[in-house]
Amino acid sequence: MRKRRVQPTSRTWLRILIGALSAVSAIAIAHHSTAMFEWGKEVPLEGTVVKWEWTQPHTFLWVQSQRQGATAAQYALEGMSPSWLGRRGWNRKSFSPGDKVKLVYYPLKDGRNGGFYVRVTLPDGRTLDALPQRAP
Amino acid sequence: MAVHLFALASARGLSQRPYALAGMTTRGRQLPMRKAFPGVGMTALTLLFTSAWASPQALNAYAPLAQLPDWSGAWEPMAMAHPEKEPRPAPPKLTPLYAKQYAAYQEKNRKTPGLNFVSKVANCVPPGLPGSMLQPYPIEFLFTPGRVTILIETYSIVRRVYTDGSPAPTEPDPSYQGTSVGHWEGPGLVIDTTAILPETAPITGILGHGDDLRVSERIQLSSPDVLAITTTLTDPTVFAQPYTFTTHYQRHRDWKIMEYVCAQNNHDSVDDQGHAHFSLEPK
Repeated sequence: MRKRRVQPTSRTWLRILIGALSAVSAIAIAHHSTAMFEWGKEVPLEGTVVKWEWTQPHTFLWVQSQRQGATAAQYALEGMSPSWLGRRGWNRKSFSPGDKVKLVYYPLKDGRNGGFYVRVTLPDGRTLDALPQRAP
Repeated sequence: MAVHLFALASARGLSQRPYALAGMTTRGRQLPMRKAFPGVGMTALTLLFTSAWASPQALNAYAPLAQLPDWSGAWEPMAMAHPEKEPRPAPPKLTPLYAKQYAAYQEKNRKTPGLNFVSKVANCVPPGLPGSMLQPYPIEFLFTPGRVTILIETYSIVRRVYTDGSPAPTEPDPSYQGTSVGHWEGPGLVIDTTAILPETAPITGILGHGDDLRVSERIQLSSPDVLAITTTLTDPTVFAQPYTFTTHYQRHRDWKIMEYVCAQNNHDSVDDQGHAHFSLEPK
């Protein structure tokens, strides 16, 4: 019987990558500690863009969501720098207030409404990856 | 007049040191100038001669740069461009005191995957050498007579490496990027850097080092579009023996270096204990 080859998921690759990046002398992925996030725990979120900050050292996507039942909540989502995203298809016009987006993020450990966005699906259906990953 | 002055400059070997030309011109022409143009201000003449005649000399000084290797373009760390191509360096051999600090960091890192080292860098204080060369975003090189300038996008860091043969200054003030002198060995640039601020992190996981940390770098193309940088850290306070590792950079000829002002929109400042602030409000 032919054994089916198991493909690592993108999350597995990401873990490998993060492990590699955290090695001594290796390149830091962010300009600060990522310990404040549940790094690797992907949480989906749908909502409306409130603000898109195309800034150093990090971009920020502010999203209004109905996720918490009837109470609308605003989420603060940090992302990679324009130095990374700007060379991979993102720009300052990637989002406008009012855009409906679906995204995946790593949540803050302290339970507040925020985290680090991992990939975002634009209103036109395109999905943009927001973190370096190994090619599978 | 001008021909005579430039001949004098060349005879004294100044063609390799164009920055010294202005001074020599002033000294060399002082007496004849006054005879030929009495009453004309020295400053005006200096400007006239410098602008009219120094350019060919400066061009001569630039000509040898054509012999240097082609390092044009922006260079992205291989750990970001192709992580699978960048092998993990062996850990350093540390002195007992620093081995303890490093082990504690590693243990913390093991318990929380992805945990980065906490330092003032989160508050936008730039990293010192060699950390400045291990940032995630690209770098570029500029060659000018007697100098190589390394521009690092992350934190907009500038490194000035003097390659004119002059010795490193004695007892320079410590700085984040230290004081660098360099020379070319064939296609490779060798840089020697000292006087790095002792409060900076010599490697991730170690905060602070001795006053005499020395960073030796050899930079050379390992293939047409890959630059290899072999770095050796020598500091008897931290390292039981010199620590050598090699990192690679991928060339992107079409990339332009971006502006990077860390304080523009930093939501992630940390307190003395390393706790991140992470503001939830737009600035």
